[in-house]
Amino acid sequence: MRLFVIYTLDGITNGMVYAAIALALVMIWRATRIINYAQGAMAMFTTYIALTVIRHGAPYWMGFVVALAAGMVIGAVTERVLVRPVESRPPLNAVILSLGVLILLEAIAPMLFGGQTQSFPVPVSNIDIVVGTTSLPVSPFALFTVGAVLVAMLLLFLVFQRTTLGLRMRAAAFNPEIARLLGIRVGRMLTLGWGLAALLGALAGMLAAPSVYLYPSNMDEVLVFGFTGAIIGGLESPVGAVAGAVGVGLALSYVSGYVGADLAPLGGFVILIVVLMLRPQGLFSFGRQRQV
Amino acid sequence: MLEITDLTVAYGGVIALDSVTLSVPEGSITAVLGANGAGKTTLVRTISGLVKPRQGSVMLGDHQLVGRSPEAIARLGVGHVPEGHGIVSELTVDENLRLGGLWRRDRADQRVAIDEAYELFPPLRVRRSVSASSLSGGERQMLSIGRAMVARPTALLLDEPSLGLAGALLAQIMQRLSALVVERRLSVLLIEQNARSALSVADQAVVLSLGRVEMSDTAERLAGDDALRHAYLGF
Ligand SMILES: Nc1ncnc2c1ncn2[C@@H]1O[C@H](COP(=O)(O)OP(=O)(O)OP(=O)(O)O)[C@@H](O)[C@H]1O
Ligand SMILES: [Mg+2]
Repeated sequence: MRLFVIYTLDGITNGMVYAAIALALVMIWRATRIINYAQGAMAMFTTYIALTVIRHGAPYWMGFVVALAAGMVIGAVTERVLVRPVESRPPLNAVILSLGVLILLEAIAPMLFGGQTQSFPVPVSNIDIVVGTTSLPVSPFALFTVGAVLVAMLLLFLVFQRTTLGLRMRAAAFNPEIARLLGIRVGRMLTLGWGLAALLGALAGMLAAPSVYLYPSNMDEVLVFGFTGAIIGGLESPVGAVAGAVGVGLALSYVSGYVGADLAPLGGFVILIVVLMLRPQGLFSFGRQRQV
Repeated sequence: MLEITDLTVAYGGVIALDSVTLSVPEGSITAVLGANGAGKTTLVRTISGLVKPRQGSVMLGDHQLVGRSPEAIARLGVGHVPEGHGIVSELTVDENLRLGGLWRRDRADQRVAIDEAYELFPPLRVRRSVSASSLSGGERQMLSIGRAMVARPTALLLDEPSLGLAGALLAQIMQRLSALVVERRLSVLLIEQNARSALSVADQAVVLSLGRVEMSDTAERLAGDDALRHAYLGF
């Protein structure tokens, strides 16, 4: 029973990191109809930036803020400079482009930051909390991870649903032509959407790095797991993506706990393949067609 | 005053508008009539900046619209009610209406304008917080017109607003529209399949045929002259 609780809490914690990536993928998909395969690599890159800042003597939180800001900039610049020109082209161009960004970032990172695996600091202890003589199956860093992702999601929800900026961004994503006829600067909204998505990715990168360590392809698996969650959620639904990603986190945690840790990554791919075969449109999407 | 001069548009090599010249004075409605494929939608999409013309000019007051982006043209005061309404079905009725005026600085007046839209189309007020996708065809048309009005445009382009509207309701909307045109000094370009209803509210009428202006006259003359009507409108 105690093991089950441990695996469950682990699964939720990891699942929240996957959820941040999944949500970033959904945001970009909804805004520009592109799967951003470079989402994980962007997060790796910003995590390196954070580490560089911290190594130079700045406190963790400074690195944290710099990484989020860097994510915002990398996302916005990617949209403006690379994605915009292919937006009106066949979707395959965008797929190749995002794979290109992925390869590029993973190639540049070792030149700039060194290729060897590095450890990444935590802001609070990642050792299980002890109350009296009993140790609880959760660490302060796990709580921080879940809390940080929840807060980020809540803020994004408020921006999108409660502000006029969010309304503009939604209109630009749902129906760019109509939005333009209503005076909305659609290009800026899409740039901002990519920026916010990459900011969320940067958060995931920093939350994942203490356990997966930091190296140029350290986010590859996290991207696959987040992508799986987003697909389970139907790719259109933010709530579905988060639920899907937490589900993936739990499934992997049980596989790794009860079957064997080596099998967990394989488990992730199996889930992804099964989901793609069963329901290419995801489990949470009910075939709602998008009208252009 | 909306002035279109020598406007030529081609899709690939196919000419859709051929040297079209027409003007819409302030406080008046110009009806654009013509068969399917005559180029009516192309005309309004070009005015809005969605289609780039090969040559010609579109002036709104002192502003040249050709070469500007659709969002810039909207901000200069062009409201466009697109063919097939063009509401954002993923948003609520109220959100759709708010979208109309978001680019404007005057927040207080935006609320006033939204209220006016609800007054113009009371059925929308009842459904303000439901998804726009649940509206009937006529209600969508009301929403689209109301949303364009929220921006307080100086020129209004209506691409077949009668589509999906019941006759009585259409007459009612047209009547309100005419009143607004006079009150707000609007320049309205009204595209219609139903020539009879369009001519009853319009001041001027233009008949397009295969991208050319076939004839242009006052709506009264066109409606009153049997020979003209038979020749150009077939009724
Ligand atoms: N995007 C496009 N690409 C190529 N040709 C087009 C395009 N849009 C319109 N056309 C062509 O241009 C011509 C004019 O079309 P347009 O839609 O302006 O006609 P319309 O008068 O609005 O017709 P309807 O009454 O059916 O709405 C048609 O021959 C049409 O096939
Ligand atoms: Mg048309």
